[in-house]
Amino acid sequence: MNFQFPGLLGPGYLALYAAVALPILIHLINMLRHRRVEWAAMEFLLASHKKHRTWVRLKQLLLLLMRICALAAVALMVAQPLMNNQLARIFGSTRTHHIVLLDDSLSMSDQWADTSAFLEAKRAIERLGKAAADRPESQQFTLMRFSHVGRSQPDMQQEVVNREQFVPKLSSLLERMTCSVLATDGLPALREIGQILGDDAGERRIVYLFSDYRLRDWNDASEAQRVLGELAEQGVELHLINCVDRTRPNLAITDLEPAEGVQAAQVPFQMKVTVQNFGDAAVRDVPVQLEEDGHSRSAVTIASIPPGRKVTQTFPVSFPTAGDHQVIARLDADAVSADNTRYGILSVPAEVPVLLIDGDPSALDAKYVGIACAPGGSVKTGLLPQIETPRFLSLKPLDSFRAINLLNVDHLDASAIEAVERYIASGGGVAVFLGERVQPRFVNEQLYRDGKGFFPLPLRGATDLPVDRLERAPDINPSDHFIFERGLSDPFVGMLSVQRYFAAADQWNPPADSTIEVIARLRNGDPLALVRAFGRGRVVVFLTTAAPTWNNWARTPSFVVLLQDLQAFLSQRPGESSRLVGTPLELRLDAGQYQSSVRFLDPAGNAPTGTVEAVPAADGALTAAFSETLSAGIYQAVLTKTADAAVEIRRFGYNVDAAEGDLNVISKTDLATRLKGVPYTYSQADMFQYSVGELAGYNLTQFLLFALVLLLLGEQLVAYSAGYHPAGQVKGGAR
Amino acid sequence: MTPDSKRFLHPETIKRISRLELRARHIVEGFLSGMHRSPYFGQSVEFRQHREYTFGDDLRYLDWKVWAKHDRYYVKQFEEETNLRCVLLCDVSHSMRYGSGPLNKYEYGASIAASLAYLLLKQQDAVGCLSFDEAPRVSVPLRTKRNHLDAIVQALEVSRPARKTDMYGTLRNAAESYPRRGVVVIVSDLLVERPGLFRGLKLLRSRGHDVLVFHVLDDDELDFPFNGPTRFEGLESPDFLRCNPRALRAGYLKALEEFLAEVRRGCAQNAIDYVMLRTSQPLDVALSAFLSNRMAAALRG
Repeated sequence: MNFQFPGLLGPGYLALYAAVALPILIHLINMLRHRRVEWAAMEFLLASHKKHRTWVRLKQLLLLLMRICALAAVALMVAQPLMNNQLARIFGSTRTHHIVLLDDSLSMSDQWADTSAFLEAKRAIERLGKAAADRPESQQFTLMRFSHVGRSQPDMQQEVVNREQFVPKLSSLLERMTCSVLATDGLPALREIGQILGDDAGERRIVYLFSDYRLRDWNDASEAQRVLGELAEQGVELHLINCVDRTRPNLAITDLEPAEGVQAAQVPFQMKVTVQNFGDAAVRDVPVQLEEDGHSRSAVTIASIPPGRKVTQTFPVSFPTAGDHQVIARLDADAVSADNTRYGILSVPAEVPVLLIDGDPSALDAKYVGIACAPGGSVKTGLLPQIETPRFLSLKPLDSFRAINLLNVDHLDASAIEAVERYIASGGGVAVFLGERVQPRFVNEQLYRDGKGFFPLPLRGATDLPVDRLERAPDINPSDHFIFERGLSDPFVGMLSVQRYFAAADQWNPPADSTIEVIARLRNGDPLALVRAFGRGRVVVFLTTAAPTWNNWARTPSFVVLLQDLQAFLSQRPGESSRLVGTPLELRLDAGQYQSSVRFLDPAGNAPTGTVEAVPAADGALTAAFSETLSAGIYQAVLTKTADAAVEIRRFGYNVDAAEGDLNVISKTDLATRLKGVPYTYSQADMFQYSVGELAGYNLTQFLLFALVLLLLGEQLVAYSAGYHPAGQVKGGAR
Repeated sequence: MTPDSKRFLHPETIKRISRLELRARHIVEGFLSGMHRSPYFGQSVEFRQHREYTFGDDLRYLDWKVWAKHDRYYVKQFEEETNLRCVLLCDVSHSMRYGSGPLNKYEYGASIAASLAYLLLKQQDAVGCLSFDEAPRVSVPLRTKRNHLDAIVQALEVSRPARKTDMYGTLRNAAESYPRRGVVVIVSDLLVERPGLFRGLKLLRSRGHDVLVFHVLDDDELDFPFNGPTRFEGLESPDFLRCNPRALRAGYLKALEEFLAEVRRGCAQNAIDYVMLRTSQPLDVALSAFLSNRMAAALRG
């Protein structure tokens, strides 16, 4: 038998445990302190004594024994004995399997004073391991980090616990262990543990969930309740250990991306940085330090961020050369440091290639659009239009173009449609202008396909817009979409006139659950311009011509502005500048241009996976993947060109999940409400040491308490039976 | 009345019982004419029976009217009344010295004896007294004089009691010392050997005495209310017992009850009046209740 607090049985506490001898002492004192009575009727007293002597002595001995046992039980309860030998089979199993699930998500890096949530968890686990090693009985130890679930084996799996090897190994492991910057969830770990544990096999199994118990993780706890409930039904004891003591304020950069605009070398454009205040008080004058390609630039200051809100600040950037450029934003240090830095990689080309596909051999529409995109002269828009026929779509790869404009296209073959749709789905942007050559039947059957195609609406046919001679209202009623923000502001909108357009099919309205949005309508209410998301890309459709055949748009000053903004909108690649840590880095390479060997370098410049061989995909391209994106920063892929063996480096910015910066902790009461029906023990990590012992064997405290109650009841009964109760109850007597 | 007599004669008791009488239940042999029935037939107002004349009968009692009717000689017999001869046997042994109240058993018993002596002398009966423990200590002869009370009270004063009681020897001694039938009042706690007690009582009864037993016990002896570790030391024996009294109480009370039942039974078998008195009972109340009952019984009988 062991004791949870064996020190309490040490020499220092001998005086305390001498109390067990108190009943004997009291008995001896009573022997000396008895009253003396000269008695006449000794005959009857002696007769009674002779008759009951044996029983009386037996009861007295029993009483003495019970009192000693009661005091001994109290003393033992203080020391909390743990039974772990054969006898413990009566109370429970003798083998214990400790399964420790360690939350190493970003929010566990919450730091205060000289410690952090992760450090507190590690300390508590080390204490648990040492306490377990102090027991001689069979014990196993499994340690699994949240971030390792599904990626690798647990750090320890059914490790046999002993003092000589286990404790140093655990200490060493914990010392090397660092908190990840991933946004991991405990549910996969719990599910995996459920599979590892399997059947009972006669062992006592205890799952310890060391986490920070953030409110955002428990808002919908039904699944957690189910999984934990299943574990409890399997006989697993659950210990939820909270490693943070309270909620701390925290700021996080949630976004660092280019704002709308053409991103090309020597073309100034805006970037936006977004900071969220996860605290419960407003913060003022928040400086955001900025860095471009390793050079510090002037910081931007956010005047005020209300509690729980995000504030976005823009700042201009301009890169003189084409290529990958890195932008880094930093906040001052706070509770969680990893979310104070945001890495952005901007792939800035010398010019943004824009493909103009014109269905008319005269390419009238394409010429107008091309001139609008690149007027020439000293004006540098950053756009590089390229005019092609519809056949180009099925013959050439489209990935190199940032935007595609389909102008008055009357027909596309199936491969072209497929290529366009694949291009959009992978993140590309397509604009469609209609015209005389467009056949509604083709559009409806091939491009719309009952909503399955990229075209957002079915067409009825070309229609003339009646001239408005009375009201003189503008022909176009644009929304406040980015495309029209500059180009169709007053007074330009009044200068536009539309004579002809394609009307939508009768009774057509954008489906409520779709991303289709009408961004401009005609005077008569018919839609004129629509935008929709398709896969990861976007589609903008104008139901009239680009050239001034059905309207006078191209003859107005707003046309150039609108077309350039349209191309900027189409060429956007949201999220391209930033990726989430933990997501694999996948590269698609042109097999004709690059060798298959790729080296991936992490932010520290190391190549943890060495050289990776890219494998050919079904479409002939090479694909290479790198999954060790476990820290935030700039990753590099070193490519080698086939032609001249020149080295090309591509950079990728990886950032933490900003939501992890929300440090609101769920209260113990709320947690109990969400886990209603699930038996578990909740404790704080720093207090966890006091309940460690009971986890490593059958704690006899409850049994002792029960025994103590029985002993005290028995003592009262025996004392009553032995006549030790007060004489006030005595009535009558012999008459 | 001497100061000593005041110790056992309580004015309250005297006042209460002075209106009562101690009547002999059985026939007693007095030497004076009194209010108690005598075994002798003689001059009296109360006709008892006719008896056939035998030689030697006093011709004064010949009933001539019966001779005239039946031509037979019958003599009339009258019930003769005589005074009472009462001997008070008072136990003054060491066991009687136990007491938990204002009076110990000895004082209580001596008060009974003194009160009865006062009452008997008041009704002109002869009263004698014998205090005893292991042997008769002081013997006071039967007298009817009023000042005889002092002698009785002094006889009850025994300063150094013996640690033993010889009840049979005492009763036998009394039976021999008082051969004429009378009333024998025994005041004791009866904590003696029962066979000797019953033999003695039987002897007294066989000598024709009207025996009256006042069994005096203390409340503690009847209720045994002791608690806590106690060492009991025998008052009349070298025995001692260290015990928890509560543990032995039930057995003690049972043994005591058996003892009392045995004494009651033994007295009943010998037609002896048995009165058990607690020392906590007011003496006047206990004594007057007894005397009233006895008077009523005597009048009925």
